[in-house]
Amino acid sequence: MEFLSLISPLFLCLVVGGTLVGIIFGAIPGMTATMAVAVCLPMTYSLGLENGLALLLGLYVGGISGGLVPAILLGIPGTPSSITTTFDGYPMAKAGEGEKALRIGIIASFCGGVVSLIALFFFAPALANFAIEFSYVEKFLIILFALTVMAALSSDMLMGIFSGFLGIFVALIGVYDISDGGNGELRLIPPGTEYWLEGGFSLLPVLIGLFGLAAILEEAETGVKQGQTMDDVKIGGGGGFSLGIFKGQFVNIFRSSGIGTFTGILPGVGGSAASILAYSNAKTFSKHPERFGKGEPSGLIASESGNNGLTGGALVPLLSLGIPGDSTTALLIGAFTLQGIQVGPLFIGNNPETWNAMIFAMLLANVAMLVMMYVAIRYFAMVVTIPKHILFPVILMMCVIGAYTINYGIMFDVWTLLIFGLFGWVAVKLGLEIAPFIIGFILGPSAEVYFVKSLESFGDLTIFFTKSWIALVLWVLIIGSLAASVYIARNKRATDQLA
Amino acid sequence: MDALTQVTIDFETSHLVFPRLISVILALMGAAILLTKRQRIAGAGGYWRETLSRMDKARFFGTLALTLLYFSLMVPVGDIWPNTGRGFLICSVPYVLATGLLFMHDRTIRNVVPLAIVALLAPALVWWLFTDLFFLTLP
Repeated sequence: MEFLSLISPLFLCLVVGGTLVGIIFGAIPGMTATMAVAVCLPMTYSLGLENGLALLLGLYVGGISGGLVPAILLGIPGTPSSITTTFDGYPMAKAGEGEKALRIGIIASFCGGVVSLIALFFFAPALANFAIEFSYVEKFLIILFALTVMAALSSDMLMGIFSGFLGIFVALIGVYDISDGGNGELRLIPPGTEYWLEGGFSLLPVLIGLFGLAAILEEAETGVKQGQTMDDVKIGGGGGFSLGIFKGQFVNIFRSSGIGTFTGILPGVGGSAASILAYSNAKTFSKHPERFGKGEPSGLIASESGNNGLTGGALVPLLSLGIPGDSTTALLIGAFTLQGIQVGPLFIGNNPETWNAMIFAMLLANVAMLVMMYVAIRYFAMVVTIPKHILFPVILMMCVIGAYTINYGIMFDVWTLLIFGLFGWVAVKLGLEIAPFIIGFILGPSAEVYFVKSLESFGDLTIFFTKSWIALVLWVLIIGSLAASVYIARNKRATDQLA
Repeated sequence: MDALTQVTIDFETSHLVFPRLISVILALMGAAILLTKRQRIAGAGGYWRETLSRMDKARFFGTLALTLLYFSLMVPVGDIWPNTGRGFLICSVPYVLATGLLFMHDRTIRNVVPLAIVALLAPALVWWLFTDLFFLTLP
């Protein structure tokens, strides 16, 4: 318990304050936990390691959790990992159950965060050892699995898979990065655009464009109907919510939190894949999969416990291997670097007090998030009471800020926002699925590295089947998820024909 | 059989391996989509005509035009006062006001005044936060 000597009033204030700021960042579309950590990182230099980490971990937990507010109330994910929260949260809000959906999301987020924290604390070395044993083959198959389960989420499997591969294709634009073992050559770049597209499209402007600008363009297309925020999105008086909603959800919470934690552990497979996998599994195992996407609390619970489950998991490879589990934990490396500390396999053993202080900070951040959001939910929800003619221009401006500052001032990122905003508007009309596109875009570069390196190392396509028992299990899961999608689609068609 | 599955990747052209594979998959899936949805694709012209006829053209194209103007002017205006973020501030105020007026249905004083206040305060607050507090670069 020597770490308790590190817990000062300042430490506690930084965790709580960081969580509050994180929630606000997460709640504003276009601003994310990653950005919150990036913005506050320089402040940690003067705080010392433990206090600095307290602030950043609060921002991390708050930022991931805050994303559920706009996802539920506006249908715009505040953070990439809130994508699936929009699927059921927004329909609930439109049905006048906004507050109920928010409270469900907050409690699910807390559960996910605590489960992942327990996993992080007790199983970090074992889980890290398991993940480190994955070769490029298994990592590639994990990504393939993530893409195939997306088919279960799509209303049209063929278009869903096509959208996923299109996302991969767009992600491959630019240089085959030397730091990833590539040859540094450019590809898929139209002549004359090498200067802008050398590094490809940045993730955040793409996300903000697809989920922020495209949503506002859709509203503009239909004339920005007045009064929709007050009349159509009914927050209600908290009626309809009781802890009884969580009855029978234990397996869903535990499975989704576990998926989030496990996904977070796998370097490069973290981020929004956690909530998508959790949501997809909840849908697959649900007795009523047809209710998903229409305001089903189970979907909301899966999404939020999954994405908050990521927070603990993503720290495992960071603290045990020095490999970040997602973009936000990648920024945490900066905090260690500022203090001159190398994160790697020796970190936990050599710094037990810091390790324990981090666990305590994460726990406190989750509790602070639960209390603040639960108590002040109506204040956070007030964002939807702002008239659309005031809210939308401000959101558009914040989208520009998010896109421009994510790479510390690149105007091309702002144009990327516009390009993908228009693409998102057109894509929906063409029947393309945005969520698989995004997943393909996020995982595409990693999929390429793992695929090419596997073949470079082994020179045989059969390696994807014969590498290990893990590879075989993953193939079973891939085929199973595709079979489940076909089965669900056929059932749906049969039901539609009967109707 | 072994020879069929064996693959040799030339490092010099390794950047093209995965894009080519994905292109082939996309082409095959595109062909499958064309085949299975040919009737819907054939009726696409009518769908788009209907979409355009139902669209609130003033608000949709107005938003696009204002956004294009906003993005285009931010850097040139910012270059007049380099590294101060004033390009963002000066362009955001009229952009928020103009877009708000475009989205507003009932342009009464009661509605316009709060919008005007937000159009002044929101960009100013963001500009102050990011330039003075967070020391982040704005155009």
